[in-house]
Amino acid sequence: MGVFVFLPLVLPLSAWPVARLAETRLHPRTATRLLTAVAVVMAVCSALCLALLMVVGTAQLPGNPLPDGWSDPQVRAAVPYDEVAGRAAIPALAVVAAACARTLWRHRRVTRGARRALAGVPGRTVAVLPDTVPYAYALPGGRGRIVVSTALLAGLAPAERRALFAHERAHLAARHHRHLLAAQLAARANPFLRPLRTAVVYAAERWADEDAARAVGDRRTVARAIGKAALLSPRAPAPTLAALAVTGPVPRRVAALLAPAPVARTFPSAFTSVGLAAWAAAAGALVSAMSSANSAVTLFLILHAATPL
Amino acid sequence: MALEGGRARRRGQGELEGQVLGALREADGPVTAAWVQERLGGDLAYTTVVTILTRLLAKDVVSRERHGRSFLWTPTADVARLAALRMRRLLDGERDREAVLASFVTALPPGDEQVLRALLDIPGTDPGGTED
Repeated sequence: MGVFVFLPLVLPLSAWPVARLAETRLHPRTATRLLTAVAVVMAVCSALCLALLMVVGTAQLPGNPLPDGWSDPQVRAAVPYDEVAGRAAIPALAVVAAACARTLWRHRRVTRGARRALAGVPGRTVAVLPDTVPYAYALPGGRGRIVVSTALLAGLAPAERRALFAHERAHLAARHHRHLLAAQLAARANPFLRPLRTAVVYAAERWADEDAARAVGDRRTVARAIGKAALLSPRAPAPTLAALAVTGPVPRRVAALLAPAPVARTFPSAFTSVGLAAWAAAAGALVSAMSSANSAVTLFLILHAATPL
Repeated sequence: MALEGGRARRRGQGELEGQVLGALREADGPVTAAWVQERLGGDLAYTTVVTILTRLLAKDVVSRERHGRSFLWTPTADVARLAALRMRRLLDGERDREAVLASFVTALPPGDEQVLRALLDIPGTDPGGTED
């Protein structure tokens, strides 16, 4: 297995360029799907490699379930017997498992809590709640439900309200919550995948924006609805370092809507910068998958050979 | 989950509050807790109904007046208002709620406001926020 077992842990770095370029150069639908797929493949491979490292690491521990032949000198020579990495992989894997479990649990708790809170409210697909705080959410589950506060509806013109509902319906119809959850779990599995998660969140919003623009038939109306909604909301408490350096996601979404509609292509040509980045990410995911497969097969063969039958 | 009806199922607090408020709103005028209990089918203990009514009173969605030895209850808000209160409590309790629910409204960093107003030609309401 050699160095291959460590590769999937750092290969997520190959997806960083496309995470940056995708939001401006790719159609949001392509971007969401590509980035989610890449994130999931890389997260699974990196978790698998942690598990393999752990198997090697536990060989040292007394009472491990590995066959006795495991400690033969020939076997040791074949396996990169890295004591430190093996031992470090055990707590790392535990942290990853705990973080993923926590994310899933919280996701369930919030969606369930929201569904319970809305029990008895009239309206099958839309629940309008009298509230002074502006908010709108797409609540997944079943056919899904859109939750809007009266404060937000009051701040929007009729056409802008239609844009808002079209946006939330697009989230529900395309099941964006699955992409968001997958990207979030991936980011928990390997911190190097965090930029991908941010990019998936942004791309999913852009996707819903574009669908809303098509449904309403006017890009400017959707842009105004997003802008007004953001201006209605309470200001963020303090500018973070990132916020000072770069314009936030809302102005970028609005600017994208004021620009012409993006062209949907299946996969970008390799001769543009974004194409290069996308192919690099795809290649990274592939190498990641092959490395972890290679390591897994190697370990399996060694274990098989070391088992006295 | 929400599909399986029936009384045997253990009902959540929020659901009971909604049912009690719904029953109150179906009444013609102020009613007693016993009326609410009967209206809900009688599978709830009287004390449970009173507890829920008291909780609704604390949330300011019902009011009560003394009538002899008991209270008469009147709804002051509808089921949607109660749902709004519950929704707010849920959202306020969730630090990173955008991670779970995709939100249409995102808080804007101060610098973004000018950019946004300029993009959309929305004049600022405060003196500092007018466009240049």
